[in-house]
Amino acid sequence: MSGAPAPATVVATLAARRERRGWILFAIAAIATLALPLAVPLQAYHLNILMQASTYAIAVFGLTIVLGYAGQINLAQAAFFGIGAYSVALGTATYAMSFWVALAIGTAVAAVAGAALGLTSLRLGGHYLAMVTISFQTILSLVLANWVSFTRGPDGVTGIQRPSILGHPIADSSHYLVLCIVALYIVGYLVWRLGHSRLGRSMQAVRDNELAAGVVGVNAYATKVIAFTLSAVLGGFGGGLFAGGFAYVSPDQFSFNESVVFLTMALLGGVRSPFGAALGTALLILLPESLRFLKAVYLAVYGCAVILIMVFMPEGIWGWFSALKRRLRPVQPVVNDAAPPLPLTSRTAQAGDAVLLEVKTLSKHFGGLKAVDQVSFTVRANTVHALIGPNGSGKTTLLNVLSGIYVPTGGEMIFEHRPITRLKPHERAANGIGRTFQNIRLFTAMSVIDNVIVGAQRHGNEVEGGDAGRRDLALAALGFVGLASRALDSVQGLSYGHQRLVEIARALAGNPRMLLLDEPGAGLNHHEKQELVGLLKRLRGHGLTIFIIDHDMNLVEQLADHITVLNFGRRIADGAPAEVLRHPEVIKAYLGEEAHRAVA
Amino acid sequence: MPLLELDSVVVAYGKVEALRGLTLQVEEGEIIALLGSNGAGKSTTLRSISGLVEPRSGTLRFADRALARLGPESIVRLGIAHVPEGRRVFPGLTVRENIVLGASNRRRAPKAEVAADLERMFATFPELRPFADALGWTLSGGQQQMVAIARGLMSRPRLLMLDEPSLGLAPLIVQQVFRVIADIRANGTTVLLVEQNAHMALSIADRGYVLETGRLVVQGKPAELWNNEDVRAAYLGGRVTSAA
Repeated sequence: MSGAPAPATVVATLAARRERRGWILFAIAAIATLALPLAVPLQAYHLNILMQASTYAIAVFGLTIVLGYAGQINLAQAAFFGIGAYSVALGTATYAMSFWVALAIGTAVAAVAGAALGLTSLRLGGHYLAMVTISFQTILSLVLANWVSFTRGPDGVTGIQRPSILGHPIADSSHYLVLCIVALYIVGYLVWRLGHSRLGRSMQAVRDNELAAGVVGVNAYATKVIAFTLSAVLGGFGGGLFAGGFAYVSPDQFSFNESVVFLTMALLGGVRSPFGAALGTALLILLPESLRFLKAVYLAVYGCAVILIMVFMPEGIWGWFSALKRRLRPVQPVVNDAAPPLPLTSRTAQAGDAVLLEVKTLSKHFGGLKAVDQVSFTVRANTVHALIGPNGSGKTTLLNVLSGIYVPTGGEMIFEHRPITRLKPHERAANGIGRTFQNIRLFTAMSVIDNVIVGAQRHGNEVEGGDAGRRDLALAALGFVGLASRALDSVQGLSYGHQRLVEIARALAGNPRMLLLDEPGAGLNHHEKQELVGLLKRLRGHGLTIFIIDHDMNLVEQLADHITVLNFGRRIADGAPAEVLRHPEVIKAYLGEEAHRAVA
Repeated sequence: MPLLELDSVVVAYGKVEALRGLTLQVEEGEIIALLGSNGAGKSTTLRSISGLVEPRSGTLRFADRALARLGPESIVRLGIAHVPEGRRVFPGLTVRENIVLGASNRRRAPKAEVAADLERMFATFPELRPFADALGWTLSGGQQQMVAIARGLMSRPRLLMLDEPSLGLAPLIVQQVFRVIADIRANGTTVLLVEQNAHMALSIADRGYVLETGRLVVQGKPAELWNNEDVRAAYLGGRVTSAA
């Protein structure tokens, strides 16, 4: 242990190094692209292409957020782009506003439209969201073409003004291009930062596993609405800049086809990163132009090129390069397992075994099936309460009702004297109820530590030191389950048993008052199970109440202070382990005669 | 001539080597237990035999045929059935359909024969019978595990590979599953068993292999493994009946 840096510092250093490298790359690219239009006199044709590429890229950044980060489809980005463009066009040409005011109005209108669309359709998601956004796109196209008195109809709007900065009008196209590129870099940087922020991690958690995100405290619906709104804002902002660049807009520039183009740009370049968005946009705008020498067949060649890239690089060009980089330089294990102590373990157990959770005549029916039927029990603070029963007896259903995934058919739940029956999963997480899943639900595209950080950032879990503090907390939780050395690995590379431990670490990082564990011992061997037993015993000593489902009676016997037994959704026994495990009905329905000899 | 033979098999995921030159033999009619901690390479061994991962080097032979580059579908037809961990029940199919799908490698199997086998599965897992027409996703985790095992048995394999069959099953059902495994062998099927419940696994196995970080560390008969101090400490544990 001597001399080697603690994992906390290693992870922090790696993050800092990544950030520094990002900055350097960023600065080089920015200087190069900014110098170009200023130093080299460009023809109007090239200026136009570059202006189109930079303003489009801003709109495509929006798709990085909504589709890449949050995993929600948006087939109306051209509509938001059009809202921004028409606001600048009509604002400056018809109403003689300043460019900046018109741009602000356009962005705001896009934001309101995006929020309204998101609020009404994101509860559904999936195909419904695709349908709703296509409809919105179509409606906007019809309005632009047919409300002639306001939008000037199919003829489009001419005479769009460019802005002035501090009294200096930016009339020259190369100067306006510089403005667009500056905006591109600022927005690109912010989008990249967002990906590594608390909000961005929540979005990615929702994308990878919405159910698990809710249970660890992410308000999935709100997160999706925010992502959708931000995407619309960037669409509107990019569209406003676009209108200023070309001094002319018409409805056909913002049709459904263009939405598909935006989507293709995002997917082609790599939807999970703003670099991919910029790359895809540049490619899709420059490629057809550079192929024009092929004359009649140029569109066919262009189409083939796009298809080939999508077939051989399904993650997009940037995604392909990132994967290649990971393969060539695999993640170094974080040396030294001396993680900081978990703050949870410095919490002292409050004396006494007051009632923590009270479950009263709880029922959950699926149609005619009574999965949970009038079950009542109480869980006392600082105890381990086990729930056992045959397969299909309703244990997991009960746990889903306790964590808020299912709304109960009847009955109520009182946690720390407060009714929680009507609370959503993320609200229960905020009250200090954490859980793990029987069929592992991790955020598969994220690293081990990012998975745990999502758990650490729940509402009500105040962590000193912001992001760095949450990273330390996550590492402490990983250290507690013995996985600190794998912090930087991708979770998909872990074995089944280790993935379970990551789930436990994710729950622990949220500093819960009560932890619901669904078969934590499954997939662990005897030695690992004994470690789990030790870990859970230590947790109980620190004021954490544990509610556990497991089929390993040895584990349950070692841990449980109290056992409730379900069969066919009904409680058949409840009490101290010694009496419950000797209960004839429990032996008959669940343990079998040879139980105590056979199960080790 | 062993039924299954692995010689110096290396499997790597990217740069991480999951198996580092594994050699093992399974004789016809044996039950072999594969033990080891998480990440030791047990599941990877099964995946390389069933063709789900391509080994980087080494050879795999089954019934005197090389398995290299055969692909999972052809390997199933040779008579190797793999019941992976994590259930993988088809959520949109009924329990009956899920189980019958396991027989899809048996070409031109008479319908009556498949129906009889299906009936045998319901006799083996009577808990499933009431759910014969329920959709896969509506089952509880343990019930899905039973469906996955039944599906594997429907292919009437020469070699049945089970990855943690007891995972998530109630003690009563675990006993039943292990009885079923012993019955399967009695009918002539060879069984390769990955199992964390080492007590149960060794109680029915003829031989056991213990893996650590992709390598074979110990092999032997159950009695020999029982008496090996290291193995006991890591995978079997003392008898913790009244202690703690």
